[in-house]
Amino acid sequence: MTSYIEEFNGIEKPKDYYDDLFVQLEKLNDEYHAFNVINKDADCGFLFGTKANICVKGFETDAGSKMLKGYAPSFNATAVERMLSDKRFAFAGVTGMDEFGFGTFGTNTEVPARNAFDKEYAAGGSSSGAAVAAALMKYHVSIAESTGGSIATPAALNGVVGFTPTYGSVSRYGLIDYANSLDKIGVMARSSEDARIVFDRIRGRDEYDTTCAVEKITSERRKKIFVINGMLEKADASIKTSFEKLLNRLGNAYEIEHVDSSMMEMAIAPYYIIAMAEASTNLAKYTGYKYGLMAEDFYKQYNEFFTDVRENFGMEAKRRILLGTFIRSASVKDKYYTKALVIRSMLIREMDRMLKEGYILSPTLPIKAPRIADVRKLSPVESYSMDLFTIPPNLGGFPHISFPYDYVDGMPLGAQLVTGHGNDYAILDFVKSWEEGFEYRYKTNLGEL
Amino acid sequence: MKIGLEVHVALPTRSKLFCSCSTEAAEPNSSICPICMGFPGSKPMLNRGAVEAAMGIANALHCPINRGISFVRKVYFYPDLPKSYQITQMEGAVGSNGYLAIGEKRIRIRRVQIEEDPAQIIRDGALTLIDFNRSGTPLVEIVTEPDISSEEEMRSFISSLRSMLYYLGVDINKEIKADVNISMAETRVEVKNVTGIKNMIETLRFEIERQTELIRAGEEIARETRGYNEKSKSTQTLREKESDEEYGYVFEPDLTVFDIAELKFNEPVYANDVAVGLANGTDVSPRTVSEIIMLDRDSLRQIERLRGRHSLRSIIHGIERYKKYGRAGRVADKVLDNIVLLIEEGKEVPKEAIVDLESGKEARVEYSQLSDEQLDELINKYLEENPALVREYVKQPKTINLIIENIARGNGLHPKEVARKLMPILAKVAEGK
Repeated sequence: MTSYIEEFNGIEKPKDYYDDLFVQLEKLNDEYHAFNVINKDADCGFLFGTKANICVKGFETDAGSKMLKGYAPSFNATAVERMLSDKRFAFAGVTGMDEFGFGTFGTNTEVPARNAFDKEYAAGGSSSGAAVAAALMKYHVSIAESTGGSIATPAALNGVVGFTPTYGSVSRYGLIDYANSLDKIGVMARSSEDARIVFDRIRGRDEYDTTCAVEKITSERRKKIFVINGMLEKADASIKTSFEKLLNRLGNAYEIEHVDSSMMEMAIAPYYIIAMAEASTNLAKYTGYKYGLMAEDFYKQYNEFFTDVRENFGMEAKRRILLGTFIRSASVKDKYYTKALVIRSMLIREMDRMLKEGYILSPTLPIKAPRIADVRKLSPVESYSMDLFTIPPNLGGFPHISFPYDYVDGMPLGAQLVTGHGNDYAILDFVKSWEEGFEYRYKTNLGEL
Repeated sequence: MKIGLEVHVALPTRSKLFCSCSTEAAEPNSSICPICMGFPGSKPMLNRGAVEAAMGIANALHCPINRGISFVRKVYFYPDLPKSYQITQMEGAVGSNGYLAIGEKRIRIRRVQIEEDPAQIIRDGALTLIDFNRSGTPLVEIVTEPDISSEEEMRSFISSLRSMLYYLGVDINKEIKADVNISMAETRVEVKNVTGIKNMIETLRFEIERQTELIRAGEEIARETRGYNEKSKSTQTLREKESDEEYGYVFEPDLTVFDIAELKFNEPVYANDVAVGLANGTDVSPRTVSEIIMLDRDSLRQIERLRGRHSLRSIIHGIERYKKYGRAGRVADKVLDNIVLLIEEGKEVPKEAIVDLESGKEARVEYSQLSDEQLDELINKYLEENPALVREYVKQPKTINLIIENIARGNGLHPKEVARKLMPILAKVAEGK
């Protein structure tokens, strides 16, 4: 598979290319709601969109929340700055997401994005708009972010590549925090090659983010693929069937080994504990007097004042603030938060051992794309358990990539490949060779030349 | 009675703790950026200078320096706190388990931690204004164990601490701020944010009286946080039942763990100990010496420079004279040399003398005015008492200078005046020998 970025920048564009494109994109966007904001000033370069929690100077960056309505940052995120300073790229706009990244299906926001394959279906979350944009437009990449699966999940549901790099390889400066020890900026694209080009552009040390310290990226090929028994069992039958076919095809080139991993199987609880604990502190700053949603009545006691403003958080955000605050309180902190940190380091050790030997492969999601109406019926815990496969690599900061491998009833399925810290190129290479024998399908190829 | 302190000291860095904004801006809200305003997406960057200064303090307080330091988020809602959490330290603090000696007693130090200062709230009539210039300026919090048991101990703890900070180069022009924890009985009462030693003592006095009163009446002392009111010199309830529960501390994930083993810091000077050493074997009390040098490194330097040549008493006297009349912030070596010489000659050194010395002239010094008869008498008496010197003079006429100096210095006389009368007398005496 070629790089769309190289292909696009190598050919002459019609004179009105961008004007025509934006007219069509606006029309299409009214149906799919991929973008919150479209930058119609773009007039040369390969388009990139940014998830609405990545700061772009002067553009509304609302993190999918009413609390940040109208908030236009005064600075660019480091990743954005690095893209904008490269003539190959042009900023396309801001893509929609679950409020502050809290969601598996993209429905936790005022106007959810729709699946690029069928509008009745969920786009996946939380980087929902980013995935849909990549699936709608031929020449476009999305800069997105994952905390517990927010890149892999929507990528899988929209049939694009979703690459989440090693924690600390891409600066988080300018990323509106969900859970700082888990948040990773990554790329969603129509080819692994484009994901790699953008990754190379945005990665590397940044004095503005202390945790951005991974400089060296390797491409150490593994000969073995691990499949985790206890986890695969939890997937729907149809998913299992398709996934078995994938394993059969890979069986020629790789040694497939089915193993157990108690740590990976129990990763959901510690993940949500850490994520909620951190999130509840990150959301404390939204008090309605400095930016975003501004309170009108300032003649109140401060407690009353900020409590009134914070009514405007969505349901899921409120749930996580309450749970996260509870988890942090002194009387239960050791029981939940401290224990979760311990389990997290045990998980990292266990996965590290496996990943030295082979990759870990799984379906990205245990289910097929659900209808938006069905998502709304899920309880919070049912919804969290959909992150079963994406959580372990996210909790451990391991690079992982979701790639389309099958289409069932016209909807794409994604598989997730995980490797060790810093070995990001290996999984990009893996998907690149997979793409040689696989044909991507799309409903629309907006911007096609 | 148990008293524990949480002392807050501003660290002497030019930029803020987590961003490069200046710490010295005057115009309100002129030294702010996305980081110290806590804008969404911004992240803290740790100021190395602040860590080094804090390490110097922890080391001076005999805390073993932790090799890896980390930070926590302390969450509470107040308009001066832009992120609604303060970045501070707990287990990963710069230093812990140290002490500061006050005389024979050691006040144990639980922790020395780095933290960011919140913004400043300015009440203007019905309005509450916020100046974010202060937001994110670096502080060190020194947490003591409740080892202080009297007003006097608190006073000497604070003064030793101030002196130690001063010698480390931590600017303490601003008054020391502290939270004062006082328990007369079992229950701890915390009085928040008391500024300056004077108010700390007033706070203590008020609380002793209040809590004693409650105990006497058989009432319970509530565990609470109180505030000090400077006007009424009293404390009032701010919040009841304050506990760590509400702060919901979590590890600060944006800062990870820093290895500080390679960082350098200043070595401490304990002025009280230095004073004891200097006063040893002299007629000056260590207390007098420490009062001079506690917050004055230049005086310490002068004492160390001159003490081989002059008595400690004269040096200190000279320094005090200069402090009273001198024009410059610190005395020039040559000026102090002359002042001390004059003092050792038995002169009171008046303001005019110091003005003369500072402008490079000979000092106008008050000499005793004696009649010729009195002077004759004095000289004769001296010569009778020192026959050896007279014999010496016969052999070596230069000895006259020593005799002049001794008589002049011993009696506050001008040497020329002494010489005028001495020469004929000495000539006569010498003839007789």
